[in-house]
Amino acid sequence: MLFFSFFKTLTNQTVTIELKNDIRVRGILKSVDQYLNIKLDDVEVLDLAQYPHLSSVKNMFIRGSVVRYVMLPRSEVDVGLLEDATRRGK
Amino acid sequence: MADNEDTGASVSEPLDLVRLSLDEIVFVKLRGDRELKGRLHAYDSHCNLVLGDVEETIYVVEEDENEQETTRTIKKQEEMLFVRGDSVVLISPQA
Amino acid sequence: MPQAAALQNFVRSIRLSTHPPPPSFHSTPPFLPLPPFDQRGMSFFGFDTSLPRDRGRGPGAKGFFENSDPFAQVALADKFVDGDAVDFEDTYDGLGDQLDDDQDEFNDDTFGGGGGGGGIGEAAPVGRDFDFFGRTAGVADAIGEEQVRYSLQNPQSAPAPAQRAPPPATDPTESTSRRTGYEKYSEPGYIPDLQAKSSVWAQKVEPSPAPAPAPAPSRKIMSLEEVEALEAQMRRGQPGGRLPPQQMQQIQQMQQMMADPYQRHPQQFPTLSDGFHQLPPELQAQLEKGGMPPPPPGMPELYGGPGPAIPPGAPFLQNNLPPQNMPPQPSRHAGLPQGQRPQHMEQQLPPPSSRAPNNGLPVITNPQQLLHLTEEQRNAYLVEDAKRAKRNHKIALLSRGNGLMTPQDKNFITRIQLQQLVAAAGNVADADPEAVLAEDFYYQVYSQIRGAPRQHPHQPLGHFAQTYLLQTGNRLGGNRHRNPLQGADNHMQRMQQQVQRAVEAAKAKPKNKQLIIEGSLGKISFSNAKAPKPMLNIKRPDSSEGPRPKKVQSELSLSDRKSILTNIERVYSALMSMEDMERTMPPPPEEGDAEAIQKHMEWRQELHGLNQKLWKALKVMEPIVPNSTTPHPFIAFLSHAKGKKAIPRIFRHIDQEQRVTILTMIVVHLDSLDVVRLAQSMPGEAQPSMAVRETIDLFSLAVMPSLLQYVNEAPFNIIIGLLGLVIAQTHVQSVARTKVGLGILTMLLSRAELVKEAGQAPERDWQQWVEKFNVLFDTLEPVLADIFPGSINSGDDMYVWQFLAAVGIGASPEQQQRLVIAVKDRVMETVGYSKSLPADMASQRLGNVNLFMRAIGLDVELLG
Repeated sequence: MLFFSFFKTLTNQTVTIELKNDIRVRGILKSVDQYLNIKLDDVEVLDLAQYPHLSSVKNMFIRGSVVRYVMLPRSEVDVGLLEDATRRGK
Repeated sequence: MADNEDTGASVSEPLDLVRLSLDEIVFVKLRGDRELKGRLHAYDSHCNLVLGDVEETIYVVEEDENEQETTRTIKKQEEMLFVRGDSVVLISPQA
Repeated sequence: MPQAAALQNFVRSIRLSTHPPPPSFHSTPPFLPLPPFDQRGMSFFGFDTSLPRDRGRGPGAKGFFENSDPFAQVALADKFVDGDAVDFEDTYDGLGDQLDDDQDEFNDDTFGGGGGGGGIGEAAPVGRDFDFFGRTAGVADAIGEEQVRYSLQNPQSAPAPAQRAPPPATDPTESTSRRTGYEKYSEPGYIPDLQAKSSVWAQKVEPSPAPAPAPAPSRKIMSLEEVEALEAQMRRGQPGGRLPPQQMQQIQQMQQMMADPYQRHPQQFPTLSDGFHQLPPELQAQLEKGGMPPPPPGMPELYGGPGPAIPPGAPFLQNNLPPQNMPPQPSRHAGLPQGQRPQHMEQQLPPPSSRAPNNGLPVITNPQQLLHLTEEQRNAYLVEDAKRAKRNHKIALLSRGNGLMTPQDKNFITRIQLQQLVAAAGNVADADPEAVLAEDFYYQVYSQIRGAPRQHPHQPLGHFAQTYLLQTGNRLGGNRHRNPLQGADNHMQRMQQQVQRAVEAAKAKPKNKQLIIEGSLGKISFSNAKAPKPMLNIKRPDSSEGPRPKKVQSELSLSDRKSILTNIERVYSALMSMEDMERTMPPPPEEGDAEAIQKHMEWRQELHGLNQKLWKALKVMEPIVPNSTTPHPFIAFLSHAKGKKAIPRIFRHIDQEQRVTILTMIVVHLDSLDVVRLAQSMPGEAQPSMAVRETIDLFSLAVMPSLLQYVNEAPFNIIIGLLGLVIAQTHVQSVARTKVGLGILTMLLSRAELVKEAGQAPERDWQQWVEKFNVLFDTLEPVLADIFPGSINSGDDMYVWQFLAAVGIGASPEQQQRLVIAVKDRVMETVGYSKSLPADMASQRLGNVNLFMRAIGLDVELLG
C-alpha cells in the first residue's frame, strides 16, 4: 500500500506519465487506486505530432500496468518520510 | 534482533538488500534498453521505485546506410521519478 | 372411428412432445397466464441443449409420469379451463360424445382421481396451486396454431376440409434452409413461428416420483412402461396395436389434459414416430384423413429420428406456445377438418391486442381468419406479426430474470455490496488508527505535516503525526524539501545569533580586562586539562608533532560499505521502534498503583533495550585506531546522507552522556569527516563540487543544530576538552578551510565566551582555555587569509566572518591586531565590492564583516 498511500498525497498535482508505449502525457492527477490506476485531468499529450489521434483527449483513465514512469514534482515529495515509510514496509 | 546481529537480520531477503540502498544512489536496469541512475527514496515488493535526481539512459540501436548497427544513447534528467516495478530488471547499489 | 381419432390425437400430442423446442423466439399470449416461472434448468436461450442421442430414453429418464401426478387434477380441469379464456363447451369438439360415456367409472383409475387408487395416486398430491390451465392452454393453443399452419401450407385442402389431404412431402433440405434467422418472415408461406416455452421442457425433479404401476391389461392408466409397450407393439406391427376402447379413451383424455406435462418430458416418447409407418392401416388412414401437414420449417432435426422414413404423421408443432394473438384451442381440435371448427369461438375471444397495429388489415382474432385473407393482406399481417414477435422476443429476453429475487433479496445483496465497497475503500473512520497508520503511513503523516485536508478529520491520529512532525518536519528546519538551503540558513542564523550574543557581551566589558586576566595568570600546562570523556579509547599518536595531515583514506571496500549500510538500517529500525514506543508511553503512574507502575517500568525497560540496540548499531564506542586506512565506523555512518539525517532523531532518544560521546567522536575525527575531507578548498580553487556542497549543506542542516544545541548546554570543561582535542587530534589548518570545521570551532569559541561573560568560568578553567586558544590562534594565523572560500564574489563567506568574530572576542589586543592584519585585505575588498551590489545584498555582506569588526571594537563605518 506504500505507493497507493504515496500517490494519494499527489492528487491535484501536475504529473507527467510515460506509458510503456512511449506516449507521454501531462495532466493533473485526480485520483489513484490500489492498483495504481490513475485518473488524469487537463491532459496534454507531449509529442502530440506523433499522436494526433490523442489531440482531443482531455482526461483519461490510465491502467496502472501500462505505466512506465510518473514524473513527479520534487517539492511535493517528502523523501525522508517516504524512506521511513519504505522502511516500515507500508 | 540484537541476537542475530552478525547475520544481519535486516538482510535476510533480497529486497532487504535494496533497503540498504535507501537514500543512496542506485543503478536500475529496465526493460526496453533503459537504465536509470538516481537516489532511491522508496521501493516495494513489486520493485516499484521512487528515484530522485535521476538520469535516464536509453540505448537506441540504429542501422546506418552501410547496414552497420550503431547504438545511440539518449539521456534525460528527472528530478523525481516513480518507476513501475514491472519494467525493472535489476537494482544495483552504487552507480 | 372414435378410437382411431383419439389415437391420432394422442399420437400427435406425443409427437409434439417428443421433440425439443426449436431455436426460435419467445412469444407469449397476452391473455394466457404464464406457466409458473420454474424453469431453472433451462438452457441459455431455452434450447434443449442435449443431443437427441443423449436425451433420456427408457425408464431411466425422468419423465412426466415420475413427477407430479397430472391425472389427479383431472377433476379440477373444468374449473381451470373455463373462465375468461376458453370455455370448455366452446372448444369441445364433440369427439367425446362419440365415445362410450358409460365407462366413466374408470375415470378415477385413469386420472388418479381416487387419490390412492392407482400407483400414480400414490404420488404426492398436487397442490392447489397447480397451474392446470396454464399448462394445458399453452399447448392447446399451439395445436390450434398448427392447424392453421397446415391449412396455409396446403391451401388446396383448406376449402375442402373433408377432402383427404395428400401425404405431406418431407423435404429436410428445405427445412434446413429455413432454420435460422428472421429472414423467413419475408416468405409468403411463412407462418408465425411458434414459441418454445422453455419452462415446459425443463425437467423438474419432484421430491417423490411415483413409481409407474405394473402394466395392467386394461382399465389402467397408461404408465410410462405401458406407453412404451404400446410403442413397441406398434413398431413390431403386432395386431395388438389396436387398442381396446377403454385404453383409447384414456389416451384421448390424457392427450386433452396433459399436453403440457407431455411437453415437459419430451424424452418419454422419443421413438414413437419411428413406428408410425407401421401403424395399422386404419389408423394410418385416419391420421391422413385428419390432415397431415408437411414438416414445419425450422425443425428438420426433429424429424430425423432413427426410423427409416419420416412418417406422414409427423408432428404439427414445433413449438408449444402460439403467438400472442392466437386464440387458445383445445388440442382435440387438431384432428378435425376445418369445416368442423366451432365458429362461435371467436365471440369468446378477447379483442386483438391494441398494441398490435394492423395497418388497415382486418383484425385477426382467430388463426383461421388468416386463411381468408388475400395474399398481400396475409403478407402484411405476417410482417406485422414478425415485428411483434421480435419485440416480444426482446421483452422475453429482458424479463427473463423478472421476479427471480424479492425486494428483500435485493436489499440483502445491496447491503453486502456496500460492505464490500466500504472494505475496499478502507473506511478508516471505524478502523484502528494504529492499523490505519501502518497501512497508510505516508499519506496520513504527510497530510498532517503539510496540513492537507485529511480524509477523516475526526480520526484521533494526531499524536503520531505530531510526533513525526516534530521528528521529520521541524527538526530539519521545516519544509526543507521546498527549499533545501533554508534549513542550513536557519542554522547559520542561529550560529550568528550566538556569536552576536558573545560579541555584545564582550563589548559590555572593558577590553583591557582580558589583558589583565591574561597577564595575571601564569603558564598552565596542557597536561592539566581533563579529557572530557576518559571512557573514549583514544590513543595519542606516537609523534608529538601534534597536528599533521591525516592519511588519505582509501575508498571503502564493498563489504565494509555493506556493513555500514546495514548498521545504518539497524539504527533506523531501532529509531523507528523507539519513536513508536514514545507514542505508546503509558500515563505517569499514580502513587500506589502497582499495576501502572509495573507497566511503566516495563515500558522504560523496553525503551532502554531499544536505546542499547541503537547505541550498539551506531558503533560510536568502537575503538579509535590511529592511522587506520578505514574510517571509524561512526564516521563512516556519518558519511552517508541517511546517517547524517538520523543524527537529530538519535539525539532525541539518547542521554547527555551519549550525546557528548558523539560530539567528541565527531570533533576527534573532524578532519576525517567527509564534509571536511572533501571540502578542502585549495587556494585559488573554486568552490567544491555541487555534490560536496550538498553534503555540507545536509551536515549543516542535520548534524550541526544537534551539536550546537548540546554545546550550548555543555559545561565549560567539556568545551575546553573539545578544543584541546581539535588542536591535538586534527589538522587544524585543514579543518579551518572548511565550513563545517570552522562552524565547530565557532561553536566552541562562542560558547566559551558566553560562559566567561556569564561569570560561570572558574579562573583555573579559564586559564586552560586561554592556553588552548593561544595554540589555536598561533596555528591558524598563517592561514587566516586562506580560510575564505573562493573569490570575493562567491558570496558564501558568512561563516568565516562568524568564526573571525568568535576569535576576535576571545583574542588579546595583540592577537586582535594580528587578526586585523591577517584579514584586512578581505575586509577592504568586501567593503569595496558591496558598493557594487544592490542595497540589500550590500548590507548583508557588510553586516557579515561588521560582526567581526565589532567583535574587535571596530566598525565598517569607520573605514569610510
